[in-house]
Amino acid sequence: MHNNCYTLITGASEGLGKALAIECAGRNMNLILVALPGPELYSLANLIKGNYPVQVICIGKDLCRDESCIELYDEVTAMHLPVNMLINNAGIGSTVLFEEGSPGLYEKQIRLNVLATTLLTRLFLKTLQGNGHSYILNVGSMASFFYLPKKQVYGATKSFIYFLSKSLRKELRKSNVHVSVLCPGGMNTNLALTLMNKTGNCLSRLSVMNPEDVVPVAIDGLLRGKEVIIPGKLNKFFMLLDKILPGPIKRIITNQGMKKLNPANPLSRYTTPVMSPVPVLVSSR
Amino acid sequence: MKVLVTGATGYVGHNLALTLAQQGNEVNILVRNPSSVFIPGHRHIHVFTGDITEKVSILPAMRGCERVFHTAALVRLYASKPSSFYDINVEGTRHVLQVALDTGVRKFIFTSTCGVIGPSLNKPMNETDPRIAGFNNDYDLSKFMAERLVADYAKLGLFTVIASVAKVYGPGVETHPLSVNEIIRRFIQGKVSFCPSPGDLVSNYVFIDDLVKGHIQAIENGKSGEKYILGGENISYANFFQTLRTISGVKGTLLPISKTFARVYGGWHFIQAKLQRKEPFFTARGVNQIFCNKSFDCSKATQELGYSITPFASALEQTLHFFKNKMYA
Repeated sequence: MHNNCYTLITGASEGLGKALAIECAGRNMNLILVALPGPELYSLANLIKGNYPVQVICIGKDLCRDESCIELYDEVTAMHLPVNMLINNAGIGSTVLFEEGSPGLYEKQIRLNVLATTLLTRLFLKTLQGNGHSYILNVGSMASFFYLPKKQVYGATKSFIYFLSKSLRKELRKSNVHVSVLCPGGMNTNLALTLMNKTGNCLSRLSVMNPEDVVPVAIDGLLRGKEVIIPGKLNKFFMLLDKILPGPIKRIITNQGMKKLNPANPLSRYTTPVMSPVPVLVSSR
Repeated sequence: MKVLVTGATGYVGHNLALTLAQQGNEVNILVRNPSSVFIPGHRHIHVFTGDITEKVSILPAMRGCERVFHTAALVRLYASKPSSFYDINVEGTRHVLQVALDTGVRKFIFTSTCGVIGPSLNKPMNETDPRIAGFNNDYDLSKFMAERLVADYAKLGLFTVIASVAKVYGPGVETHPLSVNEIIRRFIQGKVSFCPSPGDLVSNYVFIDDLVKGHIQAIENGKSGEKYILGGENISYANFFQTLRTISGVKGTLLPISKTFARVYGGWHFIQAKLQRKEPFFTARGVNQIFCNKSFDCSKATQELGYSITPFASALEQTLHFFKNKMYA
């Protein structure tokens, strides 16, 4: 469909971003993949180029850094690439008690989840307006609907994204730019999270999705102009429950979140309470 | 040369131990049950009782060995206690690696699975391609974690190679119910066979003899810290059954099943097995394993190890011959 246009995906080298990149390539979209510089980004680009007849441009960039969003915008503009889809996917997740998370973690999280999403949307809006039917997909989370312990800052950043997307959508209603927000539940996006997702209760384990199952729903929803995209039947059911259940009962349910990462679970030996991207496998055992 | 094979009562380990013994090596095998019917018998094979989940029991079998072939693993899609995948496949591997490092083993090979590389897109995947999907079963995930351990021990100075094994078929002992061998046997017995639909989904099938040779080539000719795909031809399900039909002369009944149907059936099987207090070997989530392309490129192994692939048709012929002999024996 969008054969000469480009889709820009941030955080493309792992997890949901990687799955989005593959899904878009499968739909014949040319890609600009933005991620931390490293071999993962380039091996993904090679894989996609080897399998699909699309253009893939890699830009290694740490979007937590000052000025990096402007640099990215300038680089893309200098290449004269017509971007008609912006996917703000890069984000840092965390499951940690507020007092145990480091100030540095929160700063990075807010910079990436909030600031980079806002700035890239602002910077690329003109480009998108000039390229026919255009789309912005912001990646929020189910965590933006529920006030969960250990997800305070993360949930707040995702609420910001939700709010931003819905307001912007109203502003741009009469323009050619469609804004959607994707709100996935728990996903197996990396090893640490995959292992942690196995430690929850039965219902939360069942609701966990793999990124490759989320992305077709996300891109279909985006192209159909859906406002809020919630992948997964069970997640939709949770949303329904949230609407109909009275407050006190919801409080009991969300308090269960505190019991996550139960140390008696044999898999918790591979996970650490603060999300480290790589659990320590060779330990001094 | 003195070598150790773990998992010698399993399909791959059994054939590997026999081949190594026939080549004149002194083969120690580590088994949990010394009276298992799956123990390979040969005058050069020496049985040691032990369990990879108990580190101290590994040492006697490994003492004096120059090579370790670590094939032992919990191989299945589902276990009622999921932590057993991690106890055996990750912690067990850690124990074997540590004892190998401590006893000065010269070379170590870890039998892993192409499931770690994962499903493929239009083209076959190679050793360096990134995964395109999340993990959907504990087996693949535990093997992935074990591979990272093996890589860590390579950095500590142990010579290690990883064999990424495709779907195995061919003569050997039967140790689990979801094997390609089982599918072949059902078909030639004239039972109804289920063919995933669309039938153009491609998988990679490795002949056991190639795989055994490949292990020996990988440990001898491979480079430390490297991983080699040991596979065979990439064949679609439709082509698989067509070749099976042609070679066996059995017409067979093929029932095409859709992913949705398989998921419902998987869920039903799970509940049924649980009610009968049996171990289900199939789950609704496991269905994703079957309904995707899993094609792999073995050119690294063919170029660097001297690995070679027996054509599917002739390997299948040998397999059918083996089954027929067994059935009428």
